[in-house]
Amino acid sequence: MSLRNLFQRRKMDQELDEELQSHFHLAIRERIERGEDPREAERAVRREFGNYALVRETTRGQWGWNLWEEIWQDARYALRGMRANRGFTVVAVSSLALGIGANTAIFSLVYAVLLRPLPVSHPEQLVELLQRYPGEPRRNGSWTLRDVEYYRQHNHAFSAITGMAIDNLAELRIEEAGMRVGIAEYVLGNYFAELGLRPALGRLIGQQDEKGSAVAVISWDLWTARFHRDPAVLGKRVQVDKASLEIIGVAPRDFTGLRIEAKTDLWTPAGQDRGFHLIARLKHGNAITQARTGMAQLFRFTIEERAARSSDPQLRQLRVEVETCAAGFSTVRDRMGNPLTMLMAISGVLLVLACLNLASMMLARGAGRAREMALRLGLGASRGRLLRQSLTESLLLSGAGTLAGAIVAWSGIGLFTRIIASGRPAERIQLDIQPEATVLLFAAGAALLTGLFFGLAPAWAALRSLPACALRPSGKAADTRGNRFFGKSLVAAQVSLSIVLLGAGVLFITHLLHLRSADLGFRRDYILLVNLDPSGPGIRGEQLSQLYQRLLERMNEIPGVRMASLSAPTPLHGAGASGFGTVEGVPQRPEDRRWISISWVGPRYFETMGTPLLAGREFTLRDQSNPRIAIINSTLASQYFGGQDPLGRRIILDHVTGMREPAAYEIVGVAGDANYMEIREKERRGIFLPAFRAGRVTAGTFVLRTDINPHSVAASAQRVAAEVAPSIPVTNTTTLSDQIEATIVPERLMAMLSGFFALLGALLAGIGIYGLLAYTVARRTNEIGIRMALGASRNGIVRMVLQEALAITGAGVAIGIPAAFWGHKLAAVFLAELSTTHVAAILLAAVAILAVALLASCIPARRAAAVDPMVSLRHE
Amino acid sequence: MPKPEGYKNRIELLQGTLDMLILQTLRWGSQHGYGIAQAIRSGSGDVLQVETGSLYPALHRLEKQEWIRSEWRSSEHNQRAKYYELTDAGRTHLSAQHSRWTQLSAAIANLMEPGEQS
Repeated sequence: MSLRNLFQRRKMDQELDEELQSHFHLAIRERIERGEDPREAERAVRREFGNYALVRETTRGQWGWNLWEEIWQDARYALRGMRANRGFTVVAVSSLALGIGANTAIFSLVYAVLLRPLPVSHPEQLVELLQRYPGEPRRNGSWTLRDVEYYRQHNHAFSAITGMAIDNLAELRIEEAGMRVGIAEYVLGNYFAELGLRPALGRLIGQQDEKGSAVAVISWDLWTARFHRDPAVLGKRVQVDKASLEIIGVAPRDFTGLRIEAKTDLWTPAGQDRGFHLIARLKHGNAITQARTGMAQLFRFTIEERAARSSDPQLRQLRVEVETCAAGFSTVRDRMGNPLTMLMAISGVLLVLACLNLASMMLARGAGRAREMALRLGLGASRGRLLRQSLTESLLLSGAGTLAGAIVAWSGIGLFTRIIASGRPAERIQLDIQPEATVLLFAAGAALLTGLFFGLAPAWAALRSLPACALRPSGKAADTRGNRFFGKSLVAAQVSLSIVLLGAGVLFITHLLHLRSADLGFRRDYILLVNLDPSGPGIRGEQLSQLYQRLLERMNEIPGVRMASLSAPTPLHGAGASGFGTVEGVPQRPEDRRWISISWVGPRYFETMGTPLLAGREFTLRDQSNPRIAIINSTLASQYFGGQDPLGRRIILDHVTGMREPAAYEIVGVAGDANYMEIREKERRGIFLPAFRAGRVTAGTFVLRTDINPHSVAASAQRVAAEVAPSIPVTNTTTLSDQIEATIVPERLMAMLSGFFALLGALLAGIGIYGLLAYTVARRTNEIGIRMALGASRNGIVRMVLQEALAITGAGVAIGIPAAFWGHKLAAVFLAELSTTHVAAILLAAVAILAVALLASCIPARRAAAVDPMVSLRHE
Repeated sequence: MPKPEGYKNRIELLQGTLDMLILQTLRWGSQHGYGIAQAIRSGSGDVLQVETGSLYPALHRLEKQEWIRSEWRSSEHNQRAKYYELTDAGRTHLSAQHSRWTQLSAAIANLMEPGEQS
């Protein structure tokens, strides 16, 4: 017998009917031939034949069912059940879909960011060499060729060291295809060989290309997009910035560089010294710890060597770090790793909660069907068969949930990548998330596990049910004490998990709100930023300064704009300038010197930004004749001058980004502290210099304070720019608050998702409580009837139901609160700067879930109170 | 005479025995279900009456065990009927059953009527 039989069954049924009919006719005919009256004969045969349907059924029973048919039967049975309980099915499938979908989406993110191994040979042996100033993020990308040479000669831990410098804004000109900005890597000669890569076409860069040969290897994507995978691409030329390079090969299809967040378009040999990213391959069997101690030794020489040439006072605080590079460079992992891991944990909790919810609902349903089960057991159904049927039902549900979850995951991934890509330009993460075998396996595994998980509880209960008890007239005794306790503890567990979720949600949302309302030293709302790019048309110096002054004037006149100014850079843009400062006449030890952030700002900048001016005055256009003036912020004022009046004193700036010579500036004002690069800044030492100086402008971004929604003046601002300076393109208009939002991408992601999960968790727990109570009330209708007949008041009945709800919820809360605390402790390990409102967050969560529990028990309680004693007792 | 067919004369057949009787009946050629029932009945002098509710399940069970096979043919009255016939495996099974039956019935006879035999 096989699956084929499944479809033959109908034919077999027909044949059986025909066979029995023929028996019937033969028997009648024979009796008639023996001389009986035809009608008599038929009646006799009918009597002799017995119960036609029974004969037919017993005969069919002999055919036997094979495994496929039984599974098919189970599935059809389960589907019938699902159709019969639409509400349950919808809740079950959608909560599973959200649980599985969220987990799959987050796992694909986790996989792409943290786990996906680089498509190179033995990625697990790769490490990267990073440098870190204390209190700052670690960085790769500032090594020199001299460093490479030194480490190659002296280290013992690595079998090879290679590296590359990355130009994120390379201008790529391809003969007929025009210019575009792309990512170019300047690689050392052993780069491809040490990564163990083979070309898709042509050859890769090798040792022979070491000293800057004019050759290039292009990426598979560039080859596809620009050359339509034409093999004749070899020998063609591509211009990178100013250099014309010959294309010698195409990189393997899946290799897009060593970064997670960006795809490299082109590789070319490194001719001169640039800031190199270094990677090394651990010698076979060597642990990364050995490499760390080894590099710490070697790095001391590097420091000494640099100290001889550099006057960076903090150089000696620089440390080297060795980090595994199996999944790519660590930059994105450092920023997104912990939030993603925590999201994974939170979504895992949600999935467990959804499973518990389904288990409890199926248990209640199973108990409601105890009579049916017992009847079937009594009629000879094997326990194994019933178990399988129950599991089939849960697997079918989880299968449907997974299918719907795939859609959820798909749109979720789209949403996540959009949120992650909404970061600041310099930190932007362009993730490439594709449906991968690992992720699909994860989803399937999650589905299977959830199916088994929530299917086992009711199956277990079904197995334990005693037919004799269940078949008693009241039909409800099969619901043993043990089962009831099990059902209640499932619901209590849901309550405690939802407290954990609510606690996390409240924590991360308050954290985000905290960040959003943090005092940054300026007013972040109602500010439009209009950025122009004057680098193209060759307008320079005086001409540009005049143009910008006219623009500023016109921007001030736009309706809805209260005032306008200019700033380079704008706060939290992610780029900045800095230098060291000394007060003229006050000696300072080199190790006491600290970086100062520098901004070039226009007239009325502080008024526009809403930053208080504590002393002195703002810059004006009249200052152009006397450009060596500065405004310092209050931190700098108190650090440098203590209680003295800084106005009129002079400060000397050196090592300023983009300036060679130290220069002295007279302090004309003191402004309040404001954040410069980040939303959390430990030290806010800032100095402001005039944007408009004699015949020059440090062209920055126009800052417009508006009275109306800043987005609505964007069009006017662009029109003004096009009128006044048609040759200078507006590259970007955004609001200051959007620019700030872009700096807190992980926090937004965490708050959004954990908040969503918290709501879902509370909803599921509410459904769980409701389901349990509704079932209990239905089960106890008789009892309630008797109580009422004996004089219990409706209020008493309501109180009884609410008491049960509160008992279960209370148990859940009692477990949930410590669990939530533990979760918060764990979160604090991952995210050190989480605010310390833990107790409030968890108490809020507990109160919320109590409210949900009361809400959920309203309907069952009212139903219980509405029981009519006469009607309910008539059932007995 | 059809109605008062003496219930007292009818004997419930054990399942294995019915199978054997069916196979035995088919030994002389193919037959349809009704024919088999009639043959057993007349062959036992109306003592063994095969219920339809036992006959057809038995036939389908035997067919599934591949001791008999079936085929649709026209009966003597030009009526379509499903005819069963023995397979080789069925023949082997029958002879095995037959010898078991002989042993068993001899043993039972011995026990029941110790004096008469041997």
